[in-house]
Amino acid sequence: MGVFSFNYLLRRLLVFFLTIWVAATLIFIIPRLAPGDPIGAMIARMSRQEGFVENADLIIEAWRKRFGLDDPLYVQYFRFIGNTLRLDLGYSLANFPAKVSELVGRALPWTIGLVGIATAIFFTVGNLCGALLAWRRTPRLLKIMIPISMTFTSVPPALFSLLLVYIFGFLLPIFPQVGAYGRGMVPEFTLEFFGSVLYHGFLPAMSIVLVTFGFWALGMRGMMVTIEGEDYMILAQAKGLKPFYVLYRYMIRNAILPQMTALAVSIGTLVNGSVLVEIMFTYNGMGSLIYSGIANQDFGLIQGTSFILIVTSALAVLIIDLTYPLIDPRISLEGR
Amino acid sequence: MAERKNPHPKSLPGGSVSTRSHKEGGTSTLPFPPRGGKGLGDGGADRVVLSVDKLRIHYATPQGDVIAVSDISFDLYEGETLGLVGESGCGKSTTAYGILQLVQPPGYIVNGSIEVDGTEVLNLTEEELRKFRWTGLSLIPQGAMNSLNPTMRVKDQIIDVIESHEGKQNDKEALRKRIFELFQNVGLPNRIYNMYPHELSGGMKQRVCIAMGVALHPTVVIADEATSALDVVVQRIVAQTLVKVKDEIGVSLIVIGHDMGLLAQIVDRIAVMYAGKMVEIAPVENVYANPLHPYTQLLIDSIPSIKERKPLKITEGITHDPRNPPSGCIFRLRCPFAWEHCAEVEPPPIYVEDKHEVACHLYAEQFEERRTDALATLANP
Repeated sequence: MGVFSFNYLLRRLLVFFLTIWVAATLIFIIPRLAPGDPIGAMIARMSRQEGFVENADLIIEAWRKRFGLDDPLYVQYFRFIGNTLRLDLGYSLANFPAKVSELVGRALPWTIGLVGIATAIFFTVGNLCGALLAWRRTPRLLKIMIPISMTFTSVPPALFSLLLVYIFGFLLPIFPQVGAYGRGMVPEFTLEFFGSVLYHGFLPAMSIVLVTFGFWALGMRGMMVTIEGEDYMILAQAKGLKPFYVLYRYMIRNAILPQMTALAVSIGTLVNGSVLVEIMFTYNGMGSLIYSGIANQDFGLIQGTSFILIVTSALAVLIIDLTYPLIDPRISLEGR
Repeated sequence: MAERKNPHPKSLPGGSVSTRSHKEGGTSTLPFPPRGGKGLGDGGADRVVLSVDKLRIHYATPQGDVIAVSDISFDLYEGETLGLVGESGCGKSTTAYGILQLVQPPGYIVNGSIEVDGTEVLNLTEEELRKFRWTGLSLIPQGAMNSLNPTMRVKDQIIDVIESHEGKQNDKEALRKRIFELFQNVGLPNRIYNMYPHELSGGMKQRVCIAMGVALHPTVVIADEATSALDVVVQRIVAQTLVKVKDEIGVSLIVIGHDMGLLAQIVDRIAVMYAGKMVEIAPVENVYANPLHPYTQLLIDSIPSIKERKPLKITEGITHDPRNPPSGCIFRLRCPFAWEHCAEVEPPPIYVEDKHEVACHLYAEQFEERRTDALATLANP
């Protein structure tokens, strides 16, 4: 069994923390390159809302002090890194007394749930469809059906969710149009609440799955065709193994490896892709939060959410990297 | 190597005695009834285990079919090792894959008959064929480097072939012992039991393939250039392992290769192929000492010698388009002895002596004079 070596683990962890450090630094630097600062932006917001702000200079001065923006840059930097390590991401400017960590803490589970379930479904369905497309024994009907269903791939997910809401939320009101759980329900660990979450999550998840699985099916099909030409496939056939066993133990087992890598790489994109879908369904996840941050020029929120997304992607990559030696025995020994 | 000259391993000393008793014990339990000899005498050693008749394989191309194997017929006797030689692209591997029913598209079998122990392989249904595979015919593949599934342990790849043919093995300890025994047969250490293919050397992988190939005691084993990817030292070891295992288990073996020197040491008979045709099939000592077909002569002549540097003669003449083979004899465009008759009539296989046939007009009775002349030119070039 490809038990990963200590060396491998160490290297992976190092890459993980390096990613987070670079991300935190960039998030610190980029807003400071732009003219103005969050306080100015806040005052500008206030003045837009109220027309005029008395003693604006004094307020700015006071707040700059409070946020420590008058300290030298390196002091700010180390404080920022220290805060980030404690997952203190500062204040949201638009929802002022609220901390970004609180907002993110409330939104993140919904996105992880939605994207997680959608990913599990499209990865399974996509790879299965791809494998069946390449397999010689697949019934012809299925081989015609799958490519047709893959035409959805060219539709943007937000547009597709609009279509789904129209058909299944409006024309045939089978599924709820908005929200993450039933109106008037309190989030709690009951079966009823859980059911409601799944019920509400179905359409958003489907709009991600249907537009994404085709991509994975095509990738898998390509890998399967490559595997089909490998020498060990001829030997598997010569050995007189049962066809279904050859399909999953010889073909899918080997074809899935690059797909896993691709999945790790694409997890960041996935969350971004779900932003518009979440807005369509007013699903209160990270997507909605990022959207409101950008719409309100809420520096703190944008910084915080970006950072959390980077950490999530890095974590996903780390998890896949650490499980990789378990699925590909060749990895751990080579140490790569 | 003197003992290898005898094509009948029955008379080999030592271990081969137990070999034969082992095989005879196994014959009665074979799912397919053994077939009698082909009228050549029905002594045990001359029993035909594999009979290929007029096998023809084409590869479909947009410009027309490429004739890869053209009406090949030969018999393989029990316990015999047959070498299949010829230059690259002459159809020797395609013949092997045809026998194994593994011709990959766009290749297809046009006609022919392949009988293994009396079972017509081409008539089997898909499920029958699946069950017949590896018990009737097994393969030691060309590229052992890539012939093992990289994500499966060595033991699992041997277990899966045992379990798909003999059902789920509940006695894990017995299964383990059986695999260790196979390892021992081919000289592999037990420690590789739990290893993955990438942890083995090329020679070890090749031996795993040999162990796997004989795991079910098949009637015929086909080794497709099993040694060509290895260096000469490992080549020799693997070739010796092959012969040793073959004698111990008592299977019949077809060895495909182009290393004439190596083949000379391990086979009983050699079949020479040219452009999809079998031009000569003869006991190994005849082929080397007295090659009959002009192509075989050129082939033997092409074996490099340490004592002298000689030019390669076989490049003379042109090779034909495999889609439109020339009329008459397939070799006439490159043959130094060809005359009009060769373009008109396709030479039938001519029986020379026991187990020796040649497809060349020179050896027909009515052309004896021409043969004498040809042999004279060959002696004084």
